[in-house]
Amino acid sequence: MHIYKLDGNTMDIVSCPPQGVQKGDYIIVRDNAVNRSLIVQVTNIGYANIPGVLEDILRDSSTKNIDGRNLDFLGVKAFVDVIKDAKVFRCKIRKAIVNGRIDHDISWTPSRSTSQLINLTDREFLELIGLHGENAITLGTTKGGAEIAVNLTAIDGKLNIITGKKGTGKSHLSKLLLLSLIEKGGICVVFDVNGEYVNLGYGADYKKAASHEKIIVLSPGKRFKVTLEYMGLGVFLRIMSSVLDLPDNSAWEIRRIWSSLSQRSTLTLKNLRKAIESVLNNYVRDALIRRYDSLVSTGLLTDNPQEASTLEDLIFGLNSGGALIVNLRGLPSRFCHIVVEFMLSKLCNLLDRWVLRALFLFAEEAHLYLRKTYWEDIVTRMRHLGVFSTFITNQPDSISDSIYRQADNVFLFNFTNENDLAAVSKATMVDVETINVIARELPPHYCLALGRVTNDFPIIIEVKPLNVKTMGETRLFFTNAYEQKI
Amino acid sequence: MEIAEFSQITPENFVEIGYTSLKEVVDLNLSRAMAVPGLDGGDFADELELDPTIGNSFLKPITLLNPGEEVPVFGVDASNIDLGETKEGFLCAIRGSIVWRENKAYQYVRHGPFIFHITEANKNFLYNALRQRCFDVNEGVGAPILERIPEHIRNILERWLQKQLSESRRESLLLWDGSLTTRTVNNPISILSSLLKRARDARNVILALSKKTSISAFGRRMDSLLDSGNAPCLLDIDDVVRVQYGKYLRFFGKIYAVKLSPGTLSFRLDIDRQVSQAAGVQAVENLLCSDLIVDSYPETLRLAHILSRFSANEVLAMQRYVSENYDLKIIRRPNVRQILFGPYGGIASRRI
Repeated sequence: MHIYKLDGNTMDIVSCPPQGVQKGDYIIVRDNAVNRSLIVQVTNIGYANIPGVLEDILRDSSTKNIDGRNLDFLGVKAFVDVIKDAKVFRCKIRKAIVNGRIDHDISWTPSRSTSQLINLTDREFLELIGLHGENAITLGTTKGGAEIAVNLTAIDGKLNIITGKKGTGKSHLSKLLLLSLIEKGGICVVFDVNGEYVNLGYGADYKKAASHEKIIVLSPGKRFKVTLEYMGLGVFLRIMSSVLDLPDNSAWEIRRIWSSLSQRSTLTLKNLRKAIESVLNNYVRDALIRRYDSLVSTGLLTDNPQEASTLEDLIFGLNSGGALIVNLRGLPSRFCHIVVEFMLSKLCNLLDRWVLRALFLFAEEAHLYLRKTYWEDIVTRMRHLGVFSTFITNQPDSISDSIYRQADNVFLFNFTNENDLAAVSKATMVDVETINVIARELPPHYCLALGRVTNDFPIIIEVKPLNVKTMGETRLFFTNAYEQKI
Repeated sequence: MEIAEFSQITPENFVEIGYTSLKEVVDLNLSRAMAVPGLDGGDFADELELDPTIGNSFLKPITLLNPGEEVPVFGVDASNIDLGETKEGFLCAIRGSIVWRENKAYQYVRHGPFIFHITEANKNFLYNALRQRCFDVNEGVGAPILERIPEHIRNILERWLQKQLSESRRESLLLWDGSLTTRTVNNPISILSSLLKRARDARNVILALSKKTSISAFGRRMDSLLDSGNAPCLLDIDDVVRVQYGKYLRFFGKIYAVKLSPGTLSFRLDIDRQVSQAAGVQAVENLLCSDLIVDSYPETLRLAHILSRFSANEVLAMQRYVSENYDLKIIRRPNVRQILFGPYGGIASRRI
């Protein structure tokens, strides 16, 4: 291999005879004269543009249909084939090595004539970038089969985005992260829009898995209900105004009613309704009644203390790690909004009071149940409270650029749609070419990991399989009847 | 004719002598070669270019009207290319092809490439060894100047392939690329003459088509000597050419201008002089119905040319082959013209 061109942070390397280098592989460009090396990643591979190749091809095509024999006594054809197959590796310079340590200064230029180019094996590369740590979780393997274990510190306190088109394995990775965090003692909350996470406590064989006791499924309005008192005025008002669009005047009125009932310790759904009905202003009264009915119809609220739960109690049971799966499957959109608003507000409250140290929030297709601006709030404000989010979406443009820019880790699965690729590439921490070429060609269950999780070296990972009931599979019509029932 | 039949004919001499030249750089002195200083074997000189002035504007073309008979057609061509300079001399490669059409199907056998390391020390050996072994001649001759050795070696290969065809085929049309002309001086035994005789003995007819001639009449090039409306046709210009060049050249073929299909292109055609004109015309008519004619040129010869030519890739490959197998380093000498004249040096002939 030889350096052919250097343009900005793009280096073209000629390989003749072509070496078995694949997109995503890393090459070390070592300049012994200055005792420095560059770490470059192959982002694209093409044939070397050798003069005469076209002539060769045209000549071959002229004689393709002619029966003939080449008496190539010297075996020169093998050498011609090597030259025809010469490759140019388009590489991106990622970092440098100075005195044996990773360095960010890539402003120097290695010698074209004397630099030594070494194709790193996956294991050598992972060792070089020091990916393994004591408290690591295994995400999968590289294309070459080397195990990739990422340090928990690369996920703890970080914002993660998992994106890719449908059926590429996004949810699978998110479940893997979730289970790994639980195993390490982390507390997680999942907004599960498709009911994919509810059976994580079961193995693929439908038997209880090791994590069974650590998975708590909340079905809002069914088995998960709260009292008005537990919900609190703040959360109640936020739901009323931001989800149910209650005007300010009416909000002021309900605040007054709430305070009055609360002072008399008679804050119940029944009393609240009565008090609303007694509001003199017709417009305010009607507005409040509509919102009240809407909220009560969700079934989330109850006056029966036996029926009601508290997040504190639920989380207490997850002291050694676990997940609250908020099952939003089948719920009307507005109800989802109410539940998520309630959950986030209460969780922030718990964090604020140090009832909870921190938690990992998994939000699948977040745009379906919250406004974009709200997520930005989570990312900026709640992050400081200890809500560390992981967004999972197949619509990369549903996540705003500002969130992408704050993302610490991006797990990018296959995208073929130009617009999706453009949405991801304009905001992620890696160059457009890497995204456009590599993400387009990723097979299912392979992702390009970017960010802290891989020490800022983009790495292609084959996500390891899970031995739990993952559920995310598409329901099929033409399938085995038994499986269908299950 | 099967491919296997031609594949059996391996030009071992080219393989062996080429190998020796690469392996033994210095010690190939002339002990085995009987060099006669100053003599240049004319049999293997590159195609001779004629530039006679045709004064008779009333020459009448022979229109090819009769339907010919379908016969096997064989085309032979070879090419050479320089691979680069070494400390001792330079490297070159040659390759030759035979293409034939029989029963409306084309087939080919391609011989080579053969690589030679040519130096002042071994050029006589190379030239004579190839010449003697390929054509069973005993006398040694002085080799041409170093720079022209590759084209002479190429011609030896081409003649050798022509010889194989002349001997092995019967009642066929043999198409050669070039002419049937040699120099009269320093040409004691004409290999060309014996090739023609062998072909005649086997009732083959040799048609040599030359692309490079610059024959003209009244300032008109060969292309415009023949009117497209008469095509296919021949124009007998033998007398005109012989009158002007007879002192210096030996013409083994009768010379015609030929236009095999309507269009702008015409070529010089040499037909064995010992073959009657009627038989020659008949041979051209047979060619018309036995081979595809594209731009007035037979497809077999075109394919033979394509198959013989070296591409830039092949040159790179052969350079790699030599450096990997024989540890011969190709050097790049400074270009004196470029040094002296810079961009005003013109297109200097450079070795690759």
